[in-house]
Amino acid sequence: MDATSTISMELATPTFSQRLWQLAARREYGIAIVLAIIIAGVTTKNHDFLSGENVRDILIHCTQPLIVSCGVMLVIVTGEIDISVGSALALLTAVLGWLASPTHYHWPAWAAILATLALGAILGLINGLLVTLVRIPSIIVTLGMLTMLRGLTVILMSHPRPDGRAGDITDMPYSVRFFGIGKILGISTSLWITAIVVVFTALLITFTPLGRRIYAVGSNPHAARLSGLSVTRVKIFTFMFTGFLVGVATIVTQLATVTSGLGQGFELLVVTCVVVGGVSISGGVGTMIGVVLGVILIQIQSTVLIFLKLGTNAANWNQAIQGALILIAVLIDQVASRGEKRIGGGH
Amino acid sequence: MLLLVLIALMLTAGHLEPKFVSSRSQEGLLSHVWDLAMLALPMTFIIITGGIDLSVGSMMALTSVTLGKLYIAGHHPLWLAILAALCVGIACGLLNAIFITKVGVHPLIVTLATYSAYRGLAEGISLPEIYSGFPDWFRSLGQNTYGSLQLIGWLFIIAAVFCAIVLAKTPFGRSIYAIGFNETAARFSGLKVNRAKVIIYTLSGLAAAIVSINYSGLRDNAQANVGLNMELDVITAVVLGGTSIFGGRGRILGTILGVALIHETREFVGWHYHRNEYVPLVVGALLIVAVAANALLMRRSSRT
Amino acid sequence: MTVPLIDIRNISKAFGGVQALAGVSLDIAPGEVHALCGENGAGKSTLIKILAGSVTPDSGEVLIGGQPLQVGNVRASEDAGIAVIHQESVAFPHLSTYDNIFVGREPKTLAGLWLDRAMMRRETKKLLDRLGEHFDPSRSVGELSVAQRQMVGMARALSRDCRLLIMDEPTASLSARETEVLFKLIRQLKSDGVSILYVSHRLEEIFLLADRVTVFRDGKYVGTKLKTEITQDDLIRMMVGRELLQVEGMVKSETEHPGGEVMLDVRGLTREGMFRDVSFSVRKGEIVGMAGLVGAGRSEVAQAIFGAMPLDAGVVSVAGENLRSGSIDAALDAGIALVPEDRQHLGLVLPMSVGANLSMAVLPKMTRAGLLASGKEEALAGEMIRDLRVKTANARVPAETLSGGNQQKLVIGKWLATRPRVLMLDEPTRGVDVGAKAEIYKLIREMANGGMAVIVISSDLPEVLLLSDRIVVMRQGRVAGELSRQDATQEKVLALAMLNANTQ
Repeated sequence: MDATSTISMELATPTFSQRLWQLAARREYGIAIVLAIIIAGVTTKNHDFLSGENVRDILIHCTQPLIVSCGVMLVIVTGEIDISVGSALALLTAVLGWLASPTHYHWPAWAAILATLALGAILGLINGLLVTLVRIPSIIVTLGMLTMLRGLTVILMSHPRPDGRAGDITDMPYSVRFFGIGKILGISTSLWITAIVVVFTALLITFTPLGRRIYAVGSNPHAARLSGLSVTRVKIFTFMFTGFLVGVATIVTQLATVTSGLGQGFELLVVTCVVVGGVSISGGVGTMIGVVLGVILIQIQSTVLIFLKLGTNAANWNQAIQGALILIAVLIDQVASRGEKRIGGGH
Repeated sequence: MLLLVLIALMLTAGHLEPKFVSSRSQEGLLSHVWDLAMLALPMTFIIITGGIDLSVGSMMALTSVTLGKLYIAGHHPLWLAILAALCVGIACGLLNAIFITKVGVHPLIVTLATYSAYRGLAEGISLPEIYSGFPDWFRSLGQNTYGSLQLIGWLFIIAAVFCAIVLAKTPFGRSIYAIGFNETAARFSGLKVNRAKVIIYTLSGLAAAIVSINYSGLRDNAQANVGLNMELDVITAVVLGGTSIFGGRGRILGTILGVALIHETREFVGWHYHRNEYVPLVVGALLIVAVAANALLMRRSSRT
Repeated sequence: MTVPLIDIRNISKAFGGVQALAGVSLDIAPGEVHALCGENGAGKSTLIKILAGSVTPDSGEVLIGGQPLQVGNVRASEDAGIAVIHQESVAFPHLSTYDNIFVGREPKTLAGLWLDRAMMRRETKKLLDRLGEHFDPSRSVGELSVAQRQMVGMARALSRDCRLLIMDEPTASLSARETEVLFKLIRQLKSDGVSILYVSHRLEEIFLLADRVTVFRDGKYVGTKLKTEITQDDLIRMMVGRELLQVEGMVKSETEHPGGEVMLDVRGLTREGMFRDVSFSVRKGEIVGMAGLVGAGRSEVAQAIFGAMPLDAGVVSVAGENLRSGSIDAALDAGIALVPEDRQHLGLVLPMSVGANLSMAVLPKMTRAGLLASGKEEALAGEMIRDLRVKTANARVPAETLSGGNQQKLVIGKWLATRPRVLMLDEPTRGVDVGAKAEIYKLIREMANGGMAVIVISSDLPEVLLLSDRIVVMRQGRVAGELSRQDATQEKVLALAMLNANTQ
């Protein structure tokens, strides 16, 4: 037997440490364990934590970031990024408010909603075209959009309404708010919608050719081209899908009042959830379960801080914890992939 | 070329609004352009190496809160608070640098994370408090003009000259360009790539601290929302100034013009329409157009 | 002879002035195993890429089954029934095995909306069975061994109805057992009427499998022989029949055995998966050639000596002092310089000026009071441009405007400025025209005569023979043998580089 065959034989049997790395790379287990520990810990301190009401509150807290995370996850899986979703959410909410509010244009709810969804998809399309055809790095495109869309929102909100007044919209009609606060079969509509989005996305990525291609593009763009896939089309789809989902997230909004400051920092919240949920920023890796757990982990912490009765100021630490969580997540990522490479699993 | 745009803008502005140029609220306005300019200097180095620092605004917040917490809330001597704020800035930059060089994570992700983490820390430490009550001499130090410029203005001019010389005339500057064009070749030529990166990201933290100390003193106001969205303005200014987001190209003079352009645009749009709301729209559009033009030009030049 | 399945006519292709293929022709009959041989750089991989549709030829045509093939189109090649198993597997590491096999042409149900997973899994299982592999098709390819990945590539090629299967060094990462399975499969495919273009350096495999052998040399067609007509020695002669470049004033070193003390000594260098237990030494004033096939681990050894690649075991010492491994700084301080093979990515910062590139490794010496002194840089650039006879308008033009040979001189010049004690040159004349080649040879010899210890890595045999005082031949990550200048012939070097010890 010659040298190379000896080496490849060694590679064929995974060592114990290799197994360990593979397990560490399965982010879902890690988050699930952390979540279980947190829930168990907090519940022993305060039994109300697992009350039906509190669980529902936590879940509803997760709806908006989870819906948008489904899109951003796909964008990141292809190796791009979208940090414009916070501003897009603000703009779409403002537009929805304008169209639906009785003191504005007072469109029927269905028309206002359709227009919002369409506008969301168009915003995503613009991102996608700039990234793929003009070939601007997606971070710059969406950074620019983040600024521009926020500006547009402010303009829109300060523009005098038909009744001559300007400012926050305070009279979103119930027909629109139904999708946020209404109930079907005793369960909040927003949860139903979120569940539909999550299941749809999970089916899309697992069971359709398009879904597989999204992963292929992120896993190895060069090989994707050699396999005859259109990288451009796949990427544009993921950006459009994200834009559309921002529209959906707009519709499940709970608020009766629309202000222009809405959604600030939302883009980072979403990226944090997705990255903490095990989606690799270098593309090709990520699961729906991981993202769902990531969103819950990030969104549960503010409730945890309240339930631990650390004082009223505890919630101010939210963002710091978020930032630290991304750093820890990328650290684990890098160490894990380095471990894999040492053993020869790299490509 | 950028200079032409700037002059054209000034002329149009002057034509449309004669008062804009002549009356010059300009002088008063100039005060906070220095913050932007100061931060743009290290950012120019960083973007030339092909990196980015999204955490500058958050580093400002954290240093501002450090200053306020120690001096106002902790009753420590002011010099100690200032020193601590500077150290915090340097430490923040250093942490970014360590993640980028040692852990090997893309600067975008690292500074996106610290963008949250630093501001989050500032919020956690300070909220709901806003610190004010700095001594008069400290406030006037920032506000007074010394021979027509404020302290930060002079600081910027010194720093800008220094940076321009370093970038254009020293081995360090040369290595910055080499890293941006071709990091591997730079490494293979024996250039100290990691050391260079550590220096520039740390300087970014230091600059954030200086700007933030001046800002807090000037407004007698140290709090966690200092420097909000600052990173966008800084990056836009640097990219507008001709520094390539793909690395390798850029000059300090370009950055200064970029800062001036963004500042004039901002003031003019705000002044002409009496509406500051239009400003982010225009700034965001400027960023995308500038990078798109850059990308298209690069593609054309690489084709020939 | 039957009508050929594929008829390659007069194909030419140049890459930036280097003629990779010059009017080659080749035909393959249905059910034929046709071997393609040639040294590194003979143009084999370019031909494969043209057939696969990822490279468009400058001229010539390809007929498949009598129909002209639309060249430069991956899809058209696939549709025509051409499948390629690449040397390095082009795979999606994060995707499952069956996804890898079917991505781009997934079987669908429900009006094309839904993946037919059951079918993908079933088919993959069948394909893997055929290949003698029994791992779970839903395992992701990143978790597989190199050999298993190779098998996935094979399965992907088999999954479509191909008429021509191109295999590029298919056994490079396979064990003896896997190779057996592969050979059985090849014979089976052959009996099914599939044609196979088999590219390999392993002569024993060629004689085992092939019906006919075609040899390329320097992008040109040399000849096609029936296997029964020739011996292994004949084949090697066809491959090396290259003329020695006559270089005037090209002299070997004055003494037979340069008497200098040992300057560079490497012992037991090992990096898993790349090279193992590599030991040799170079004396002052000596030129050691490193020969071997692409992938034998020569460049990796050089990069490890330069500190650009960490070592799992082994010691590098210069003038008796051991170096810290994995540190470029330590290597530079010890006076080691590397002119890398890939000068566009590793050697030069192309958009920067000629002068800036020449001074890049000695920047601290180019200063006055901490500032770069343009006078010193100009002096250095002027000296190097003159000494190395670099053809450039001036030192201020970007390095990318220079020709390949002159760019190479820049890289050499950059390192000469550091006054190295050990100079390693990896493929110093690749992509360099003949005139510049001769000058570079002369330079290398001058440097050695000046007392430097020089290593020349080259896949160009005449070059190695011309330059070297001693030749180290590597095969599959190990030192296969050392030849002194008197003993070395092209045939001997190639035999060491290509053949297994037991078949010699």
